[in-house]
Amino acid sequence: MERWIPDEAGEEAALRAALGISSNDELFVDVPKKARMGRIGIGAGREEAEVVAEIDKILDRNRPTYRYATFLGGRISTRYQPAAVDAILSRSEFYTAYTPYQPEASQGMLRSLFEFQSLWVELSGMDVANASLYDGATAGGEALLLCRRIHEGRRFLVPASLPWEEKSVLANYASGPGLRVEEIPYDPRTGGLDLDFVRSAVAQKDVFGLLADVPNGFGHVDEGLLELKAILGDVPFVVSADPLALTVLEPPGSYGADVVVGEGQGFGIAPSFGGPLLGLFGCRKEHVRAAPGRIVGATVDVEGRPAYALTLQTREQHIRRSRATSNICTNESLLALAFVVYATVVGPRGLAALQASLAEKARKLATALADIPGLKAPRFDAPYLGEFTIELEKGSAHAFLGHLEEHHILGGHPLADPRPGAASAGERILVAATDSVTDRQIQKYATVTRDFLGAPGGAV
Amino acid sequence: MSFRQARWDEPAVWDLAPPQSVDPPAPIPGMPARLCRKEAVRWPELSELAVIRHYTRLSQMNFGIDTSVYPLGSCTMKYNPKVSEALARRRHAAELHPYQPESTVQGALEILWKLERILAKVTGLSEVSLQAAAGAHGEFAALLMVRAYFRDKGELDRRTEVLLPDTAHGTNPASAMMAGFTTREIPSKDGCVDLAALRAAVSDRTACFMLTNPNTAGLFESEILEITAAVHDKGGLLYYDGANLNAILGITNPGRMGFDVAHLNLHKTFATPHGGGGPGAGVLGAGETLAPYLPVPRIVKRGRKYRLDYDRPKSIGKIKAAHGNFGLDLRAYAFALAHGEAGLKHIAQRSVLNSNYAAAKLGTVLPRPFRSLVKHEFLLSGTPLKARGVRTLDLAKRLLDEGVHAPTIYFPSLVDEALMIELPETESKRDLDEFIAAVERAVADTPAALHAAPRSLAVGRIDEVRAARDPILSWKDLRSKAAKVEAPSPVSSAP
Repeated sequence: MERWIPDEAGEEAALRAALGISSNDELFVDVPKKARMGRIGIGAGREEAEVVAEIDKILDRNRPTYRYATFLGGRISTRYQPAAVDAILSRSEFYTAYTPYQPEASQGMLRSLFEFQSLWVELSGMDVANASLYDGATAGGEALLLCRRIHEGRRFLVPASLPWEEKSVLANYASGPGLRVEEIPYDPRTGGLDLDFVRSAVAQKDVFGLLADVPNGFGHVDEGLLELKAILGDVPFVVSADPLALTVLEPPGSYGADVVVGEGQGFGIAPSFGGPLLGLFGCRKEHVRAAPGRIVGATVDVEGRPAYALTLQTREQHIRRSRATSNICTNESLLALAFVVYATVVGPRGLAALQASLAEKARKLATALADIPGLKAPRFDAPYLGEFTIELEKGSAHAFLGHLEEHHILGGHPLADPRPGAASAGERILVAATDSVTDRQIQKYATVTRDFLGAPGGAV
Repeated sequence: MSFRQARWDEPAVWDLAPPQSVDPPAPIPGMPARLCRKEAVRWPELSELAVIRHYTRLSQMNFGIDTSVYPLGSCTMKYNPKVSEALARRRHAAELHPYQPESTVQGALEILWKLERILAKVTGLSEVSLQAAAGAHGEFAALLMVRAYFRDKGELDRRTEVLLPDTAHGTNPASAMMAGFTTREIPSKDGCVDLAALRAAVSDRTACFMLTNPNTAGLFESEILEITAAVHDKGGLLYYDGANLNAILGITNPGRMGFDVAHLNLHKTFATPHGGGGPGAGVLGAGETLAPYLPVPRIVKRGRKYRLDYDRPKSIGKIKAAHGNFGLDLRAYAFALAHGEAGLKHIAQRSVLNSNYAAAKLGTVLPRPFRSLVKHEFLLSGTPLKARGVRTLDLAKRLLDEGVHAPTIYFPSLVDEALMIELPETESKRDLDEFIAAVERAVADTPAALHAAPRSLAVGRIDEVRAARDPILSWKDLRSKAAKVEAPSPVSSAP
């Protein structure tokens, strides 16, 4: 593709002439011969139309979620995104900008990020929020490190039901400073946290923080969350929360959370095979100087007009280097913009209504799946919003989901850690009632499940 | 250039339609009452047009590459091809859930696998993972791999130190700290690593040396082979910070230079848009020593099928949910396909040509430290302006009035009053000449005008000290401040 590099007639020759050189090779005389490479070994360049044809050909080998009855969830949502959101994201003044190092030239993005921060403060019940982190999992990792900065100890407690990917990310964030991530067992009936375990762990004085998620890794809402602060005392309490759930549930700040993180992708961003995502991060004001990432603050310009700028930057890597609160530089600003535009287009009433309708669909699904021999659905007896866990008493989760897929159903995802040798807690599947599923699709899910399990009523 | 940015007196979104009702949403059946919200989320209800107008107006108060030359050094702000945007929005790309069965996402896996192969060749490293969300994230993951490697060798107790030059990007020492290492800076000599100082510092305590080449002074570290040998001789590893890869595409590569592990920024070299701060996409490349430690899953090809492989016992595990920033990877793949072999090399040639041309011209306006041949970027020093009471900051603000973004300023710190300028391959000679003329006009302007800049933007010079001293970080802060003071605060967003 020639036209992306300007090639007005003689342009490069004129640049070389101005430098008094005749060949581009003279620009690289400082690269030692022994360090030079030969050919890269990739094909010749292509015209734009050829690139599109090639990539479309490959993409055709995908079967996107809209081709299915989709019951996939687990922090990443397939929900419909109003076209208005992408219209704003497509403003190239936003998407082709860099981090707003020159605030006077970047008021648009800075103000949008200030509105985003404000929205996460409202949803989470925290005092401050940052301008985003990579995703919900890494936001949890940063929360862990913040806890250690504000409290002594070596152990960080997380629910055993936390998705395995998030546990692995947390273990990586903990490994540098030599900290330990420890799992809190769950009640086998409700899937809720074993609060006695938390009590005795905290009594040993070595716990520097605890993270609990809402909904939890099984899709349920654990009433035990409300008891945690009293047990933890001054041990920092992190809640990892789904932003849509927070439109109907109490903000974690109201029950003692010190940090609230979350995955924000469902607000205005397509799943895109899992990236980019949006890490949400908020905390109490007294901890803001220990917090990671960019933060936008309100101030004034020289004439006293409202203006916005990145602030409290002495926490950050470009100033504080090895003593920074985090190494993060690039974050997910454009997705933060999507988040606030989505929430504002749908509005607080619309968001709560959406969550209520997902909860209603999930109840219908639970009803349809109840009493199928060989299946425990829901596996746990606890309140839920749009998701819950089912468990197969026979057959493998992969075979079951493969069977559903043949019937045009993406039936959820297995909860087991897929790494060889990982402990397994049975053939469990997280099932989400998404906004696109219909009553008929819910009934079909049940029928195909009966068929797979050889239960009566399974003829498809 | 004559230029005025839009200056909308646009209220904050919550002032467009102050929230009325705080009635709680209807309870969710089955949800215990004490878990349910007692008050609705406080946020405005607006028509779609009102939202569109609000954010469109805000967008008009923002520079992007599409509006302005954006010469931020080390940021590689090049044109983001529109075709990549269109492709990433295809339903067959955007509407894929990462937990779909492998058989239904073969196309996505194929793109990731093929991009990994291209990037392995570009970096000269044997294996590539696309899981990291950004450059710094890749640095952190790579250092965890270094840690795991030395743990396996039984040397972790001893090898606790990461060495880096004093010109290193701030993310390098921060990543090293997060990964549990201590850091030690190696002084520069004439803008490059002082080889003698490095040799004196490297020891059996050295876990790795982190280097970007060309470095942040825009200079190619010509003693690179001696540098990598010096560290390897003591059993240490070499980390390549790929932020500045643009200048050497197809000329040399980290593997060739002797590096064991590298990160690249697709949002720099491979032109994925930076989104006003993100998303990025960090590539993690590893040579044979460290490849077994890359994050899982790895994408493997068996026959004609692509699979996610979790069976890597030495892997550090996950560093992010799902498989990386696929939307960005797809854009980068389109960019790589379009350029091909000759095009990628042309990127390096043209970006270095642009940089040297602008450096030669601007070297007559302000002093340039170090040797004259530079790579993707170059440094100027604003020290001569000090005699007139003008600082580099003033010059940067004055440049904004010309309709161009300012360079990176006050970095690297070894140059006083530094301006770090990068003009990637997509800038034409005409753009370069306009930028050079803009700098000349700015330098020649009166101190009073420089101090008063910017005057053509949505706001004038911003009081950043006040923002940090008295932090107002959300609408909630604005409300509590308004409740405290009777008179409207100057930061109130009411028009």
